[in-house]
Amino acid sequence: MRLSIKDQIGPRCIIKEDGQKIYDAIHGALQNGETVTLDFEGVSQFASPFFNFAIGQLLKDIAEDDLRRLLQIEHLNETGRLVVERVIENAAKYHGDKDYRKIVDDILEQQAKESD
Amino acid sequence: MTQKVIQIPTLNDGPHDFARLFGIWNEVNDYFEDIRFDFSRCGFLRPNAVAFLGGLARLVESRMGSVTFDWSTLRHGAVMTNLCQNGFAGTFAYPSSRWDGNSIPYREDKTLDMNGIMDYLTYNWIGKGWVHVSDRLRDAIAGRMWEIYSNAFEHSGTEVGVFSCGQHYWRQNYLILSAVDFGRGIPANVRSFLRQYVEEALVSKLSGAACLKWAFERGNSTCTGGVARGLGLDLLKEFVRLNQGKLEIYSNDGYAIVDKDGERFENRELAFEGTVVHITLRCDENLYRFRDEAE
Repeated sequence: MRLSIKDQIGPRCIIKEDGQKIYDAIHGALQNGETVTLDFEGVSQFASPFFNFAIGQLLKDIAEDDLRRLLQIEHLNETGRLVVERVIENAAKYHGDKDYRKIVDDILEQQAKESD
Repeated sequence: MTQKVIQIPTLNDGPHDFARLFGIWNEVNDYFEDIRFDFSRCGFLRPNAVAFLGGLARLVESRMGSVTFDWSTLRHGAVMTNLCQNGFAGTFAYPSSRWDGNSIPYREDKTLDMNGIMDYLTYNWIGKGWVHVSDRLRDAIAGRMWEIYSNAFEHSGTEVGVFSCGQHYWRQNYLILSAVDFGRGIPANVRSFLRQYVEEALVSKLSGAACLKWAFERGNSTCTGGVARGLGLDLLKEFVRLNQGKLEIYSNDGYAIVDKDGERFENRELAFEGTVVHITLRCDENLYRFRDEAE
């Protein structure tokens, strides 16, 4: 499967809604083990919300190694690549069930130290 | 109807000036009738003040009050010229149209207009020619700055939108952009989010500074929905540090600053409901190059 991002979205890959469109178009194919190529020719501006939803979201049910093997990205400039890498790294570490009680306890402990 | 007169002093962009802005917000916040802004004591208005006052006016109007900017009281010609140039005066009933110069237009975004905002950042701000950067770098910077607007619309709950203004200071050679919203504020959002998981007695002890620090960490987000988020502020601050510029955020009772020396988070006594993001970028071309761009 091959998608021209410029044809699908335009020259700006910025908002989460557009990212969701790409996710919806490619998720099924990737889950079935097909290779998907995203061609970013003609796309000049990038922001994290788009990639969080287009690519990061895929890691909910596709292993990172499989994603890197099946998802081919072409003509993405350095700016876009950096954001994609950051998104994948972030999504791979993401757990929806963080221990917020511990997080708050740690913050309050740090606050107490700083006010001493 | 009783008209409340609010004196607008000289307003720069230091902590004391922001404190004065939040004081004005406080004066106006519980007042639901007519407000007149008087400029007789105003000798200067930096873009943070312009964006803030514009947004405050719309906030009052959204509560069925009315706002008048009394331009007859503004005696400093240079200030008036600047407010006409950036379009702020014309937006608030002064008979003038904006024109191109060192100011970056005053802008109101009631809803998230992706192309409008990206055009503003790309062509009115970084792409104006004050910094000589490649188109690729210009686009990269605009993309990072987008994260401010994305966060404001997604998280703030603002009913009146986001208000922006900027300026190029050619003597000091830096570019400023201020974006203001009158939504819930970042600390309030963080506390509200954590309250779902942790008892109120503990969450209420979280300081504004601590909440901002949490929000700045990569991967932290108050968004629910199962999609990994929380990269916007991290990407933005990385760029500001590379530029050796400055990113300041005032939100509720918290203040954050990112500059070449690192990140610092402080608590402030005077809180306000909303968020101001104030960015200062240096126009030094040596700070703006991709690795593969020729010297």
